[in-house]
Amino acid sequence: MDRDSFLTRVGRASLTSQLPDSPPISADLPELAAADLLALFRSRSQTVNAVVHGPVTRHGVPRTVTGIATGHNASSFMAWDDLPTPGVTSALQAVGMERIDHVVPLGSRIEHNLGYRDVGVGITGAEVALAESGSVVLVHGDGRPRMASLVPDVHIVLLEIERLDRTLALWAQKNPTLVTETTNLVLVTGPSRTGDIEQQLNLGVHGPRHVHIVMIK
Amino acid sequence: MNQPVTFLGRAEALIGTHEADAVDNGVRNFLELREKAVEELPALADLRDRARAIRLHALRHLDRLLAHFADQLQAAGGHVHWAVDAADARQIAADILQRTESRLVVKSKSMVSEEIELNDHLEALGLEVVETDLGEFIAQLAGDTPSHIIAPVLHMTRQDIGKLFADELGVPYTDDPFELNRIARVHLREAFLLADAGISGVNMAVAESGSIVLVTNEGNGRLVTTAPRVHIALMGMERIVSRWEDAAVVLETLARSATGQRLSVYTNVITGPRQDDDPDGPEELHVIVIDNGRSQILAGETAEILACIRCGACLNACPVFRTAGGHAYGTPYSGPFGSIVTPGLHGMDPWWDLPFASTLCGACEEVCPVRIQIPKMLLQLRRQAASEGRLPGWLEKGIARYARTTVEPARWERAKRWASRLAGVIATDGWIRRMPGPGRGWTSSRDLPRPAKESFHDWWRSNRGS
Repeated sequence: MDRDSFLTRVGRASLTSQLPDSPPISADLPELAAADLLALFRSRSQTVNAVVHGPVTRHGVPRTVTGIATGHNASSFMAWDDLPTPGVTSALQAVGMERIDHVVPLGSRIEHNLGYRDVGVGITGAEVALAESGSVVLVHGDGRPRMASLVPDVHIVLLEIERLDRTLALWAQKNPTLVTETTNLVLVTGPSRTGDIEQQLNLGVHGPRHVHIVMIK
Repeated sequence: MNQPVTFLGRAEALIGTHEADAVDNGVRNFLELREKAVEELPALADLRDRARAIRLHALRHLDRLLAHFADQLQAAGGHVHWAVDAADARQIAADILQRTESRLVVKSKSMVSEEIELNDHLEALGLEVVETDLGEFIAQLAGDTPSHIIAPVLHMTRQDIGKLFADELGVPYTDDPFELNRIARVHLREAFLLADAGISGVNMAVAESGSIVLVTNEGNGRLVTTAPRVHIALMGMERIVSRWEDAAVVLETLARSATGQRLSVYTNVITGPRQDDDPDGPEELHVIVIDNGRSQILAGETAEILACIRCGACLNACPVFRTAGGHAYGTPYSGPFGSIVTPGLHGMDPWWDLPFASTLCGACEEVCPVRIQIPKMLLQLRRQAASEGRLPGWLEKGIARYARTTVEPARWERAKRWASRLAGVIATDGWIRRMPGPGRGWTSSRDLPRPAKESFHDWWRSNRGS
């Protein structure tokens, strides 16, 4: 059906619609009791099985990341081009890890995709972390592949400590146009999980099994 | 399909089976988790009011919001298609897949796709369609339908699944959930990377930005919308809010109500296909906006049900759902909300009996994150069924007679005395263990105490009356 006829039908249905009145709501979101955002983020990350490291100095980030990656016996990695601190990818390459190309060719992509089969580690930055839920917000785009936080077994997030907010609703209210400015924005709240088999918690069903968040001073 | 055509028939076939027990145990867990998540955040009460206001506002201005959404998404390079019914939606999806020469299609969980029975249609056209949500994947392998909107194979045991994997995937038998998970991961990873197209649902669309929001825990929703070259999203036309801030408020209530999580693991906000500077993502994005009976619901008394955000909390809270399980409803939309949605989408025939599959206890409304007045609408649909003459004669006549009796004191007195005498005949040791006629079902699992010989009215008259 064409757009106009479809929307005319919907508009006509609205005319006889018997919807109840909306509840009255105030302009401001409800106040939350004050909290130490870093402590809250740490504890909520733990609840969702993510591991928070640091805060470490900018200088110490490559060593921390290399330590996590080798701890998981990774032999390859993907990384965003604009990580918040320099030296991370070269440090990983220095310990013998291979960097997987993340620019997908236009047209047929199957051959490229198969290169993602066994990626060990993905390293990304983050726009902000949300303390209440233990989430990090990834804004994808130029030099920032979505796959880096999706196909590897281990996802390492580098996060500057001042990039902390309280809840999704509060943060979204302060950043109302961000989703218009980017093709893809993802909130990650811990490692991939399922309870589909007898409600037993299982991590890493499709996405990463491990999420490490490195806080940077 | 050879299943019974009434709710009661389907429910009776299920009650007492391990399927019904597994569902009951499973949802108990969801309920406890939800309660903890709700109690932890007193501000949630306010967020629920907000979420309700946001959803009702969207329904009031649905045509305008959809038009704005389509304009914005098109400006971002996406395509919007309009499907008036299921056949229309299937045709649009099939056309896109054929034009893009797609053969292997990966899918993430979508209720609408079950509603329009998309898989059968695509498979008949020679496409290979793989469900990737672990539960849906298991259901697809088993040739079964999902029994719960959040946990599709809540009704299966790990042994069932182990045997299924051994038979269908040719792997050695195991009933270890971790091992079963690993097998599915390896199997499905291959499908994601090789797929030509991905099909997803839409949890929410944002009119202001032209975005679609997809929520998953496993990450399959992200893979389906990132790895293949083409992404098709199926969207029920009511799944829309005005602004990104509004979506954020609704998201805060969604996961807490569904599984007791503060947020789901992945909240994926997609605004158009891959742009020139994006290193990955689909080259084509198609959103199919589907009516399929929704405008009929919108035009009537049960329009409020379209505010539903599909969290599944009302299923978990419902004593009838917990006793009978999702398959008793005979449609993808089960439980209290489904008993309103299904007759609305597909007509009262043969679905008029679903609104009667409720005790009207109100637990559904109490847990609903958008406070939908479910019992009120169930009653409206019951009234409609009665006025259309769908109730069995004995019930219709019985209730009419009861109504006449209660409004006339003399008649009421006589009926009472008659009932008391009858009770005396069928009771043993002060208990009625088996009622006659339609009352038999009631006493099949409980006993009724014999009414007192003297009624309260009589007692009052002889002791306190003047």
